Amino acid sequence: MKEGSYANMWDTPPSYSLYETGEAGRMDYFLNQLINGICQGAIYALMAIGYSVVVGVVGMVTFTHGEVIMIGAFAAYYMFFLSGNQIILGLIVSFAASWVLGYFVYKVCYERFFNAPRHVSLLTTIGFSMLIKNLSQIIFGPNQKPMLDVVEANFFRIGAVQISELQIVIIITVIIMATLLSLIFNKTKFGIRLKAVSQDKTASYMVGINVKRVAMLGNCLGCGLGGIAGLLLAVYYQTIQATMGGPLGMKAFASSVLGGLTDVRFSALGGLCIGIIENLGITVTTASFRDMFAFGFLILVLIIRPQGFVSKKGAKV
Amino acid sequence: MKKTILLLIVVSLVAPMLFAAGQSEAADTNVIKLGVLAPLTGTNAEYGKGFEVGMQMAVDKINAAGGANGKTLELVVRDSKGDQKESSDLARQFADDMSIYAILGDFTSGCSMANAPIVDAAGLVQLSPTASNPNYAGMSPYTFSIMGRQDSEAPFFARYIIQKYLGLNKVGVIYINSDWGASSYSNFKAEADRIGLNIVSAVNYVQDEKDFSSLITKLRAANPEVVLILDQGAVPQIINQIRGTGWNVQLATLGPGTSEQLINLTGKNAEGLVLSTPFFFDEADADLMAWRKEFVSKAGFEPTIHPVCAYDTVYLIKAAIEASGSGEITRQTIRDNLAKVSITGVSGPLKFNEPGDLTREYMICAVENGKYVVKEGFDYAKQ
Repeated sequence: MKEGSYANMWDTPPSYSLYETGEAGRMDYFLNQLINGICQGAIYALMAIGYSVVVGVVGMVTFTHGEVIMIGAFAAYYMFFLSGNQIILGLIVSFAASWVLGYFVYKVCYERFFNAPRHVSLLTTIGFSMLIKNLSQIIFGPNQKPMLDVVEANFFRIGAVQISELQIVIIITVIIMATLLSLIFNKTKFGIRLKAVSQDKTASYMVGINVKRVAMLGNCLGCGLGGIAGLLLAVYYQTIQATMGGPLGMKAFASSVLGGLTDVRFSALGGLCIGIIENLGITVTTASFRDMFAFGFLILVLIIRPQGFVSKKGAKV
Repeated sequence: MKKTILLLIVVSLVAPMLFAAGQSEAADTNVIKLGVLAPLTGTNAEYGKGFEVGMQMAVDKINAAGGANGKTLELVVRDSKGDQKESSDLARQFADDMSIYAILGDFTSGCSMANAPIVDAAGLVQLSPTASNPNYAGMSPYTFSIMGRQDSEAPFFARYIIQKYLGLNKVGVIYINSDWGASSYSNFKAEADRIGLNIVSAVNYVQDEKDFSSLITKLRAANPEVVLILDQGAVPQIINQIRGTGWNVQLATLGPGTSEQLINLTGKNAEGLVLSTPFFFDEADADLMAWRKEFVSKAGFEPTIHPVCAYDTVYLIKAAIEASGSGEITRQTIRDNLAKVSITGVSGPLKFNEPGDLTREYMICAVENGKYVVKEGFDYAKQ
């Protein structure tokens, strides 16, 4: 059943008990926290998918992904500001903006370093991420910016279990993106080239694939997905800030590592797991321990399975 | 070379003493000099400038109206750079200069506290407009502050805003896990326990948290009648996310004050929000608006509460001088009278308690139609 939008929620009487007492109430509460976790996990999953495409195809670890996500969020912010609440337009613009940034990341951080030691491009990505962050602070200002209400704040209830329209939109968007990516990887020539490059660059070169070009496009594609994750985050949290990227990049990295770094499906699963673990952890403690649960879980899994959820090389969907 | 350096050191040590001695000889009995310590340069320069402008406005007004007990006030402004060592050196200079009757400043609690032993030994009042550390004023009988103590607002919030004004009992608290947040919460909780407020759930988070949905779900499960948010920067996000889940619980916040940024970030979600503030530029108050206009024309920027408090300190000193009546005015009489006087300043009623600071009487503000509106005035706390 559907509740009214909160535009006129002041007409309803203040505060009511959402939960029944006893076992049933505890279960509903647990389910609500699970939904929060799934929603957050879905966003982490999208960040991790983009991340593992980048790492898989380029073959080098990146620390600019947080900034890529942030640029996507800002692109969406300005698009919504101009167009009202055209969410499709916002998705396209944030994808495009992060794609363009991905091109520069490729040019600066990877193109000349394919044959250099790995730490060279790693350090370059760290430096470049600082450059983007500081430039963004100068251009966009250091303050938080309010996000427009793009999705109407309706919510659906089954008993005391509540899910908002926004949460549904986020989860559906992530599923669509993951499916599209899967189709690209498996059904198009470009996708097969991407897979080939991520599995073995030398062999791909020998069969006539333009490895650098494919690596560039794969990097941009991963960044574009990061940009969409940025849009979803901005809409979900309703504020954006130039410094928002750092912790998000770490979460994307952690989710991706959990999934085995280059496997797209398992990275998505890693993101989902971290989101759920965090939120269930908060259920029993408090949010000050959020990152402890996320990274504690990561360490625990890596102790048991150092290769993450999967061990084979190369990007797979 | 060594001798030259030694000579320079000796000269630099002796010169201020000679300078100070020269000043004290020139003391004019009809002028009362007040030493001002303010960070005119450095990170807090805006506030230092605010001190200078605010205090000078007060001095000009008092002198134009015939002075304090017929005596003219004069400010001796020194730049402490927000540095404790610098501030202490200047405080010592003021202490040695017998023409200085009282020190106004410094801006930070740190500087003011560093000066406390110096003014204590000299028997010279140091009246800080802004030091809010609970330990500062009790350091010496000569140290005073009017900002209100960090540990007085949270109990006020429990007693007057939640229990009396809102008339609610079940409170959910969400607070930032920082020095400020944790101490605000413990002060709030202590008072809540004392007056029988029921804190049904208290949750916290660390700096830079973005997703509050699981905390909100947790709070909601405890079914509070009012949710109190203790933070500054994250308050708008928490409000937005609470309203985003369709939860129409009463909201209250302690920390951001009457921040315009908060209204800009939350829009209609802030409607009905209740908060406390010691001071508020009420647009309906013509005198206050005239004050603000004068300040802006002289300083070139919008005033916060800090220059307002600086302005009030001068009037407190004036009241202390006038309380001596026809008797002699000394550093000691100013101190003794200052502890006793009671005035209503621009920032509110001012009367020192035993340690030499004051429990601010906070106003209760609510957001109505996108604007802060004062719901209850200063006298509410007296009831």
